[in-house]
Amino acid sequence: MGDRQVAVVSAGFCEHASKRSDVNMAELVNEAVHNCLNNANCDIDAVDAIVAGNMPAFEGANLPELWMTDWLGARNKPLMRVTTGGSTGGSVAIAGYYNVAAGLPGIETVLTVAFEQQSCGNTSVGLSSVALGEISIVNALGLPAESAMRIFGAGAAIGIASYQAINYMNRSGCTEEDLARVVVQNRRNAAKNWWTHLKMPDYTIEQVMATPYISYPLRFGMVTPASDGACAMLYTTEEKAKDFADIPAYVNGVASVSHETAILGVGGAGAGQLDPCEQVGAVESAKLAYAQAGISFPEKEIDFAEVYSPFPNQELMWLERLGLFEENTAHLRYRDGTTAPNGELPVNCSGGVNSTNAIGASALERVAEAALQIMGKAGNQVPKTVHSAIGHGWGGCINLVTLTVLSDQPRRKWRAH
Amino acid sequence: MVRLEYIKKEYEKTRQMPGKWYLTSCRYKFNITRFQPFLSALKEKRLIGLKCRSCNTVSFPPKLVCGKCLTRPDQWVSLRETGIVATFTANYMKDETTGEANAFPVIAVRQDGADTTYLTQLNPKVKFEDVYVGMPVKIKWKDNTEGNLNDIDYYDCIDDPTQKMDSLTK
Amino acid sequence: MDKVGIVGYYQVQPSLNLNMGRYEMIFNTVRGALDSVGLKRKDVTSVVSATNDYYDGRTISNCFTVEAGGAYLKDESKVEMDGAYAVYYGLLRALSGHHKLVLVWGGSMPSCFPYSSSTLLSTDPTFERPLEIINDLTAGGLQMRAYMNKFDVPAEDIAQVAVKNHKNAAKNTSSLPESRMPDISTETVLNSDVLSSPVTELMYSQPCDAAACILLAPEQQALKIRDDPVWITGVGYSQETYYLGDRDLSRSQSMQDAAQMAFRMAGVKDAKKEIDVAELYEHFSHEELIFAEALGFCDPGQGPSLSTEISGGIPINPSGGGMSGNAPCATGIIRLIEAIKQITGEAKGYQVKDVQRAIASGQNGFCAQTNMLFVLEGGSK
Ligand SMILES: [Zn+2]
Repeated sequence: MGDRQVAVVSAGFCEHASKRSDVNMAELVNEAVHNCLNNANCDIDAVDAIVAGNMPAFEGANLPELWMTDWLGARNKPLMRVTTGGSTGGSVAIAGYYNVAAGLPGIETVLTVAFEQQSCGNTSVGLSSVALGEISIVNALGLPAESAMRIFGAGAAIGIASYQAINYMNRSGCTEEDLARVVVQNRRNAAKNWWTHLKMPDYTIEQVMATPYISYPLRFGMVTPASDGACAMLYTTEEKAKDFADIPAYVNGVASVSHETAILGVGGAGAGQLDPCEQVGAVESAKLAYAQAGISFPEKEIDFAEVYSPFPNQELMWLERLGLFEENTAHLRYRDGTTAPNGELPVNCSGGVNSTNAIGASALERVAEAALQIMGKAGNQVPKTVHSAIGHGWGGCINLVTLTVLSDQPRRKWRAH
Repeated sequence: MVRLEYIKKEYEKTRQMPGKWYLTSCRYKFNITRFQPFLSALKEKRLIGLKCRSCNTVSFPPKLVCGKCLTRPDQWVSLRETGIVATFTANYMKDETTGEANAFPVIAVRQDGADTTYLTQLNPKVKFEDVYVGMPVKIKWKDNTEGNLNDIDYYDCIDDPTQKMDSLTK
Repeated sequence: MDKVGIVGYYQVQPSLNLNMGRYEMIFNTVRGALDSVGLKRKDVTSVVSATNDYYDGRTISNCFTVEAGGAYLKDESKVEMDGAYAVYYGLLRALSGHHKLVLVWGGSMPSCFPYSSSTLLSTDPTFERPLEIINDLTAGGLQMRAYMNKFDVPAEDIAQVAVKNHKNAAKNTSSLPESRMPDISTETVLNSDVLSSPVTELMYSQPCDAAACILLAPEQQALKIRDDPVWITGVGYSQETYYLGDRDLSRSQSMQDAAQMAFRMAGVKDAKKEIDVAELYEHFSHEELIFAEALGFCDPGQGPSLSTEISGGIPINPSGGGMSGNAPCATGIIRLIEAIKQITGEAKGYQVKDVQRAIASGQNGFCAQTNMLFVLEGGSK
């Protein structure tokens, strides 16, 4: 039981843009599916099961996996959809892993698809409705709807990021220029990757600092765009992997530990995270996933990281919580170039979520790009050989975290059964 | 507004259809009877939190479930009127007359004696630039309390003893 | 496939307007399931939930359920389909060897949202939604008419299924109180309000508030927790194409594929002989007949002649099935719980004799576009 080794053999993307007005949701997804299957030189018949995921509230379409059956290639095939907010893509990647790892007879090759066409819907409605239930609770407890909306609306998405940024800068001494430096690196990387949204090859720190604040300390030039896009990834067993790819990327550890909600919880749950950049969930996820992968010294053993960071301060925070840098030192590593594509630990060479954010797909893209770096097929391939890489995602009120650890070697058989 | 240039590609247009998520047709149920002691205390200008008997976590405002123990906390404990700013952000509101966007601080307060935070507003007269993490604050009640969350008018700054100490050492 | 044991379960009493908040309902369900076998939260290693953003009226519906759902600092995920799919994901997690005890819960509160208009949102947004013709009711009407025409089945035969299920629900204490009708007749069913001709009100599974939870553990772990777990020995699922015009609505291709996969896994060769009881999630009464045919209990079109009473040859839905209350996202789990009760002999008042092997199903989409089937077996083999 559980001895089946899982490998990523292919990944596919569609072109990302702020408005993919030339396609509808289903066609957008189909582009990524096609790209993925083409890269593996196979057709949909090779696929035994499908895992899909998006955040349906952003497009105003409930259960989209049903009407896009044919575009997903799911006709008369098993299909399951997982959705966990921003970490949806990561959850899709993990569900794909479990589908293969469980060892059910007849399910060996699994296609995972995550997508979001944000131009279809109203992103701010999607985001503000995260807390609607909580707003209704404080409203029931007597706070007028208008002021509840105002106070709790500030807590959604960018609000949470600015809380985190304030606390992170407070504890690490990182400056606004450091945040801008992260953004510039991401946008310049994105220019070298074909499918990304904000390609800015000549972006500079000065340009970022010249833009106005959206929410202190985050500036207009620092925040993630809203993109249309989709990503697909193909999983299979160790035995079959070589049929699809020369160098498969083996999935050696997965974890999605959730913590209580920060800031917004009232009445039912949450708000016990006093410091939103402490991230116990991410620390625990890392522990779990690294243990599964047999990694004891992540800072030395991980060669490449793709972290989910719509806002630059989060990139610094996650790298520390995931054990890649020492506490409060991540911004120094950006200053000395450790995280550049030719550095010691390249980070987000795909351009990251800061350059491209099709919310449901973003976390799957992190895993896919990490796998492609190992396979040597990434759009912005790093010069050094990547042996181990991680793909990370977060969602909810910074309480849901997903982490996938990939390697060019199958997992050591350390677990006694 | 500064315009940022990035490499763009234009796509042709397809047909667009109207669609809507009828969020307004959703209702949210919440059993208020469990929170009645909390609301009655507010009417008397007292603050109480719920304490979990098995892990001693105190929640303010009271929480239905203790996630750590998966139990229902049932012990009410008194809290002080002071607290500290756990974290904060700004809310930008347009001034109706001048059209300027002003920053209003929104703070997450950890009440002294409690282990959770509550998102609320700071005294509107306090400048956003002066707020910091760890700032001590004190509750400001409305004059006529009615037994609901609206009885808390806002939180006001109070003297920070640690800052006083800093100035003495200088 | 390795076996996975179901070691505990709990279900909130369904109601048309449950007198609790959402978190309270979830907490009661999860706590109840753990208490049913005397386990603690720290024994749980993974939590999978089934909720829906549209039914809960909020984005990321699992965001605030972390604590009430017992997922605080646990490996957690959410499946946004029927509860049966969450059970499937839980099963995968238990089989992977990473987890010792997986908690699966699902539920929603239709008293807080308009169920039928929310199903309108799951239609194809480009071609179907602007017309506002297709929703779950009209799709059910189209399917029933297609079935009746294809096989010359009179409406009375389909009403008879509803009668059986409502009578069964009357014996089941955990059914929706409004669905219990011990004295119902085919005339009452046929004369009830027409929802979408020929479907009438009493042929439709009424949405209600409820949540359900089960605990899954891999074989060795399950035997440590209790001596007599019910085993999942087979699972199968499949999805058909979406557009109703592309499908033969009088039969269920997805259920047939699901059954093929599940029966092969469980080593079932002749479903009619080897299955002792079936708990099927039927959204409309005619779906039960279509499923029975797809499962191989009888030839296509012969569904009405099957003896599916509690004492019959192949009892289907002794608990009342979907007619006994349909809580979106929980019904699949509730069907599973009812099948477990039949195996362990806990189904007081509607117990089928000598149940060794049972099946339970969950579905999603218009005209049961996608189906999930579990084969359950008793005995501590
Ligand atoms: Zn506790």
